[in-house]
Amino acid sequence: MTGVAAAHRDLSTRAIHGVLLGAFGGLLFFITRRVPEVHGGMWIIAGFGFLLLAGTLMSELVAPIGLPHLTGYLIAGILSGPHVLKLVDEPTVKSLSPVNMLALSLIALAGGAELDLVSVRKGARTLVAATVVQTTLVLVVMSGAFIATRPLIEFARMLSPGAFAGVALLWGALAVTRSPSATLGILSQTRAHGPLATSTLAFVMTSDLVVVVLLAAVLGSVRPLIDPGASLSMSSFVTLGHELFGSIALGTTLGIVLVAYLRLVNKQMLVVLLVLGFGLTTVLEYLQFDSLLTFMVAGLIVRNMSNQGAKFVQYIEQTGAVVYVVFFAIAGADLDVPLLRTLWPVALILAGARALVTWAASQAAAHLANDPPILRRWSWSGLVSQAGLTLGLSGLVAREFPIIGTPFRSLAIATIAVNEMIGPVLFKLALDRTGETSRVSPPSFPSMRPPPID
Amino acid sequence: MTAVNPVVVLMGLLVLSYLGSFLVAGRTSSGAGLPSGVEYVALGFVLGPRVLDVVGSDMLAAFEPVVQVAIGWLAFAVGLDFGYAAERRVRPGSMALGTLSALLTGAAVSAATWYAANYWHVGATAVDRLLLAGGIGAACSETARLAVRWVVERQGARGPLADRLNELAHSDHLLPLLTIAVLFALEPTRNVAVRLPLRDWPAITIGLGLLLGAGAALLLRSELRLEDAWGLLFGVSLIGIGASARLALSTLTTSFFAGLALSVLSRHRRELREMVAPTERPVLLPALLLAGARLDFRATPGLPWIVAAAIAARIVAKVVIGWLLALSSRPARKGGVLVGLSLLSSGSLAMSIGLTFALRFPGVVGDTVLVAAVLSATVGEFIGPVRLRRTLELAGEVETSPRGIQPQTGSLRGAA
Repeated sequence: MTGVAAAHRDLSTRAIHGVLLGAFGGLLFFITRRVPEVHGGMWIIAGFGFLLLAGTLMSELVAPIGLPHLTGYLIAGILSGPHVLKLVDEPTVKSLSPVNMLALSLIALAGGAELDLVSVRKGARTLVAATVVQTTLVLVVMSGAFIATRPLIEFARMLSPGAFAGVALLWGALAVTRSPSATLGILSQTRAHGPLATSTLAFVMTSDLVVVVLLAAVLGSVRPLIDPGASLSMSSFVTLGHELFGSIALGTTLGIVLVAYLRLVNKQMLVVLLVLGFGLTTVLEYLQFDSLLTFMVAGLIVRNMSNQGAKFVQYIEQTGAVVYVVFFAIAGADLDVPLLRTLWPVALILAGARALVTWAASQAAAHLANDPPILRRWSWSGLVSQAGLTLGLSGLVAREFPIIGTPFRSLAIATIAVNEMIGPVLFKLALDRTGETSRVSPPSFPSMRPPPID
Repeated sequence: MTAVNPVVVLMGLLVLSYLGSFLVAGRTSSGAGLPSGVEYVALGFVLGPRVLDVVGSDMLAAFEPVVQVAIGWLAFAVGLDFGYAAERRVRPGSMALGTLSALLTGAAVSAATWYAANYWHVGATAVDRLLLAGGIGAACSETARLAVRWVVERQGARGPLADRLNELAHSDHLLPLLTIAVLFALEPTRNVAVRLPLRDWPAITIGLGLLLGAGAALLLRSELRLEDAWGLLFGVSLIGIGASARLALSTLTTSFFAGLALSVLSRHRRELREMVAPTERPVLLPALLLAGARLDFRATPGLPWIVAAAIAARIVAKVVIGWLLALSSRPARKGGVLVGLSLLSSGSLAMSIGLTFALRFPGVVGDTVLVAAVLSATVGEFIGPVRLRRTLELAGEVETSPRGIQPQTGSLRGAA
């Protein structure tokens, strides 16, 4: 088949997909407008289905312009969410939140299982340099950027200079967080392999640990500044120790159990992953352990302490393919568009400053570790995304300091929205440019022609 | 007392059902276990609010979307498989006889139930009694498509009668699913801004399913990653289930026609079937447990009589169908006078019909239909497979040494 014919076929396929997406959207639009829901909670099924369908189709539609699938999922979510077309209303979006539990557990398991300790050890110098430099520079510069934008931040004007400095430090700590989900989402789509993919994954997964420690330290330190009645407390460190050691211990045990299961039973892994994602996450929440860390350690054990790693990753990818679409589409639907419309100037400045300092820090770290040119040029690209983890931590800050809670979280949400939209595009661009994106066609129906490689 | 998290309970049920399936799986070849999965319904009943109360009434309400998805997905899979038996197209004669079988059985059961309901004054209005009789008739009119195949494969049966019975079991689902679309129209939702005559609602139910299936077929025409194919398949199916639930249409009928349209219009039917078949079991077992938890044997004082009338009518109707089969088929005559009882097994679809009635018409009507569906399946389990084995022996279609073949994927025992 000639290139022109293939392009023509591709165009007609996308046109059909676009028309059918419109038709399915029209059906839901009609139903939501003409049939008020009385049987509470049932629209969650259609909402889930539409987010899945729209995310899948939108990811195909945006692929020709070089956007990652993840961006397609987000756009589908934003358009069908409660702030634009209202096909999926706010209660439905909230009801779908258990999907996030499952997706995050799969992401953490896959992230851990993708980490080959031998490769990580080889790149330890890069990892340590990047962690130290990124954490320090981003924390300091972003605290400074927050202070510099004070005139634009309404709630900051009401704070005393000391309290404002404390809030700026909290902002700096929040800026250090990355997005394991976006990183894994892009790596899952591109099936990329190479130094950039490996080092970004290792950095992002270990940064979870760094961020948890850093945020606990900052929370404890700034408490007397923001809340004059409070004193410097070590209790948060005790809680943190319990959380970290408990999570690592439980993750190790879980990893061993998973290895045994894969070796001895190796059946119904879908059920095992569902039970882990929904059931165990709920138990971990109850125990106040860090579920992301627990699952990451479990994945790490399966990969590095047994020969079951490849099989395990394959199971997760099979289950995760559908779950990730809905997870990111929900994130899009949950995006507070009116808030972003209000706060976009300051959110854009803060997101831009963060991207800039991330780039500068990666240059400095690469210089220190004597990294290869690929990493020098592109290692920052995978560190711009922020998503669920940052959102969760901003909620924690809001709960700890009710005096700044709502406006602080709103600003965080607006900034995360910007990073969430830009970050994945940058990372995919970098993987494409460095040639790490896989050129092998993903599995398809035997009776189909192989799908195009994006 | 601290409230138990419903998510943890649901996951517990999931684990429990799989542990059960693992335990039974090793003994299937020796005849242990029931192909329709009524043992899971029994387990659900024990865990439910009427016995141990591990799964309380409030949790049952919370799990309703899970049940709707499970039964909708099963109907989608049935639609995708409709008209085929073991990957071969069902012959027109078998299709006609299968439909006639569903019609006769459904009519006989409905008539018996109607008279029993009138006698015992069950149902406040004539519409209630019609729903009750029609619902039980629909639930009792089908033959479990996998139960026949299960026995045939386990006995290593081969021959024209085994083929015919397998085909009949694969072709009697259309009528009960059309019936429930009509019955649901008797009580349409009062929230739709568009007013339509009652007769239009079944057409909308079928039309919605066909449109969704056609849309899915069109989407799956292009070059797709397998994971995208899953996304489209799940997405379309869930939109159908959710939209039907909101419009108070029959979820089962919409999903069945979506699967049927996809099967007819897509050139990937076989691959789609292979994709979907292994998922039937994971979604169905928790639904069966939840069906068990919903069972209320004290829904109405006349319940035992209504159920007894329904089961008796079903048995008589199946015997009559056996005679009709014997009239038209020489191998069937060799199977003995009770050849029709070979088709007495009913299973997942019957229980799904019971469940969908329990969800749509909570109270006496829904509870009675569900109990009747479950008990009819239980009786069918004890008679159907035994009679089928005997029939095939009489017809000389059973090998002397049973091969103990495990059923194909998609059977309740399949993936275990």
